[in-house]
Amino acid sequence: MNWIFTPLLLFASGVVYAQTIISGKITDVKGEPIPAANIVLKDSYDGATALADGTFNFSTSETGAQTLVVTSIGYTKSSVNVNLNDTKLTLSVRLKEDINNLDAVVISAGSFTAGDENRKTVLKALDIATTAGATADIAGVLNTLPGTQKVGESGKLFVRGGDGNETRTFIDGMVVLDAYNSSAPNTPSRGRFLPFMFKGTSFSTGGYSAEYGQALSSALVLNSKDKSDITQTDIGILSVGADVGHTQVMDRASWSGKIQYTDIRPYYHLINQVLDWKTPPVAIEGSSAYRQQVGKTGLLKLYGNFSNTKYSLFLHDIAEPTSKQLMNMNNSYGYGNAVYQQALNSKWNMRSGVSYSYNQNAVRIEDAPMHQTEKGIHSKLVFENSLSDKIETRFGAEVISRQYSESKIDSASDYTVGHSFTEAIAAPFVEVQAYASSKLVAKGGLRMEYDNLNNTLGFDPRLSLAYKPGNQGQFSFAYGKFRQSAKNIYVVNQSDLASEKAEHFILNYQIITNQRTFRIETYYKRYFSLVRFLDSNGDKLNNTGFGYAKGLEVIWRDSKSIDKVDYWVSYSYLDTKRNYLNYPSSAIPSFASRHNFSVVYKHFITAVKTQVGVTYSYSSGRPYYNPNNPTFNNDRTPFYQDLSANLSFLPKGWIIIHASCTNLLGRNNIFGYQYGASPNSDGSYTGRTITQPAKHFMFIAVFITLSKNKTVNQLPNL
Amino acid sequence: MKNKIIILLLFVVTSVMADDQKYIQSMAKNIKILYSAKTPEQYQQAINTFDRIGNAEKTKWEPFYYSAFGYLMVANIETDIAKKDQWLDLAAAAVTKAKENSPNESEIIALDGFTQMLRITVDPASRGAKYTGQAMSLYGKAIQLNPENPRALALMAQMQLGAAKFMKTSTTEGCATAANALEKFQTYHPANPIAPMWGKEMTDGLVASCK
Repeated sequence: MNWIFTPLLLFASGVVYAQTIISGKITDVKGEPIPAANIVLKDSYDGATALADGTFNFSTSETGAQTLVVTSIGYTKSSVNVNLNDTKLTLSVRLKEDINNLDAVVISAGSFTAGDENRKTVLKALDIATTAGATADIAGVLNTLPGTQKVGESGKLFVRGGDGNETRTFIDGMVVLDAYNSSAPNTPSRGRFLPFMFKGTSFSTGGYSAEYGQALSSALVLNSKDKSDITQTDIGILSVGADVGHTQVMDRASWSGKIQYTDIRPYYHLINQVLDWKTPPVAIEGSSAYRQQVGKTGLLKLYGNFSNTKYSLFLHDIAEPTSKQLMNMNNSYGYGNAVYQQALNSKWNMRSGVSYSYNQNAVRIEDAPMHQTEKGIHSKLVFENSLSDKIETRFGAEVISRQYSESKIDSASDYTVGHSFTEAIAAPFVEVQAYASSKLVAKGGLRMEYDNLNNTLGFDPRLSLAYKPGNQGQFSFAYGKFRQSAKNIYVVNQSDLASEKAEHFILNYQIITNQRTFRIETYYKRYFSLVRFLDSNGDKLNNTGFGYAKGLEVIWRDSKSIDKVDYWVSYSYLDTKRNYLNYPSSAIPSFASRHNFSVVYKHFITAVKTQVGVTYSYSSGRPYYNPNNPTFNNDRTPFYQDLSANLSFLPKGWIIIHASCTNLLGRNNIFGYQYGASPNSDGSYTGRTITQPAKHFMFIAVFITLSKNKTVNQLPNL
Repeated sequence: MKNKIIILLLFVVTSVMADDQKYIQSMAKNIKILYSAKTPEQYQQAINTFDRIGNAEKTKWEPFYYSAFGYLMVANIETDIAKKDQWLDLAAAAVTKAKENSPNESEIIALDGFTQMLRITVDPASRGAKYTGQAMSLYGKAIQLNPENPRALALMAQMQLGAAKFMKTSTTEGCATAANALEKFQTYHPANPIAPMWGKEMTDGLVASCK
């Protein structure tokens, strides 16, 4: 047969192939050559690759009207109509820069993102497990970033002169109520959510998106992992308990579950504690996650978490330390969410979700029982549209409905008295992001919130700008107005209280080069409509409180200069005052410290397969109220200082031995002072320090992972 | 009349064959260029040609497969880790395009795994666990689709040996996979002149390191 084809082919090539020579030059809009651009005659093999000077040259046998397509990495595709008629054709093509290229400017004011995918992040997901002193607590790690103030007796995130409750946690965009576990009075609480669940974290210290509301100071947005790829069982044996987890992978779905039992009693027998425990905390906690891929782009995520914590301790009277009362705590918590996201077509994307939170504190002091219960449902629907590569629009609406109730024995009547409120907040929002060029981007948003309790409709505008003058550094600005319902304990007394409000102005400069980050940020924050007491007990309230915070923050991170070493240094300066609650005049709140400084150091020693981490933290003294001093909040605690270390040793690919210890310097940190309610006979008030529950916290654990693949361990899960 | 029909048929058949011939010839020529490329510029030149062929031949998986392979080779020699990730993004995009035309081709799945494996090298501490899992499960799937695919076995052996070396654990499993891969290379018969041929040298190296 071949003898037939060969002449036919020859014949064909001889007749049809009259050639047109196409040559020219590919440049960017400034006329600079673009080497390696791909020039192609559409639907043919013919084309060329541009040389270093942007020129190209090829011949084609195609004739008539054709389309020449030019593509290059980092530039948008360009098509040119050409007419080929066996002669020479010369043309030059200018390509526009692709706005979505990796060097494009991004809005960075007020936010820190952690993740493995986005390379322009300050923090990595793994940092949460490996930062010494953070004890694998999300808030603990974020406390080493600028913008946060250390409040040792709380454990919550206090951001830029804001109270701990002004930071709101979201999981996959869904609100979490009561995101911290219940701890004994004046001891730090931990976040309820284990860091291993999340692939990325965005911690915003201000100026955040219109999608997030009900947070005055800060939004902590946690993004859970997608479908797992490995079936595995994890076992952890800890000095304070044990946990077991399992992940099962199916074709298009994965399921995982974890049960953790914490019993701190044996540890407290060994290490002296400041608190007078009757029964130290015992907790059981379980979580489960299910992921299902739907169709080509859909993903359904279900997550659930429950926990129960019990403890009892003696509360000693301040003036007469020998007189004590027994306090019993039983906390029950449940959280669940379902989130579904899908691309509707190439331009539209849809996200929807619903979450449920339940938290109950059942407290008994001696024989007097008290209950506090909060339940909430949050539902949300968001649409995202990319009109072009320059304009992105996002809009949606959410409803947060929650109920809070508390009951206690009224000492006068000896009856149980209950109060409650039900709040419903409906909030539509819209946000548009537009790139003028890859150097300049603006984002504007508006959030409207209707609250049934005070029957108000609020408008909260948000605006951000970012500009990148050169190749690396960029400036960013953000403005936003934020509101948050007053604390439950106040709303339950007076349900028509207005929302508390804040305005943020943020200016930021950041430069991220290959594994080095420098960032400096300054801000001004104005608080208004804060809750204020009209009587000494806070039974009568209004919204005339106000305040401000301003400051300067710096972070430097370097994973490059020293081999196998990664470190960061952060500093925050804070100037804040407020006049709210029972304050007689404007004063620095007791949770605010002027200077905060952290150094985090991590070193992987290959020879012994061990990662060593050291963290140093410093906070200047905080104000406290001393009734013996006529000026309100005019006393200062000594400064706070902590040096913590941890190490993770990997004897085998599937075993990790972890040890950590806080406060290696053995400093007696004082967080504040408490005073008796009434003066002594000499007219003075007796005080008592609020201090660390123990000098050190030591922790040892062994984590074992069983899977077919022996290289998988729990390091990212710690 | 009959003759005319035969001639006409012959002509039709010939032109179809000629098209395929052109595809095979162009591909074979460019595959040679790809295998002999050394610098990112040379790789990019070959990749551009594969992209042109791939955009014209809308039903073939091979052009984008080789584009992806080219980008992986560039990623492999890139020292700036942020740029390395960009090359890997381009490789991943080419893998996706190749999959559109042949979703169950063992060779593409193996290359997908290769992409995930190179992701680890950008930041081993952070990415190790996630991408090790993804790469291993893709290699497993590739071997399941075609147990005779020597490249899937070789890549899996590399992953196993790399992990064993890092953890200073036993290399028995990785060495067994490498030996198996080498065996498959010896019996491997490419289905056509443009079928993937790379990987034997790498496997020789792995087997040698086991001795």
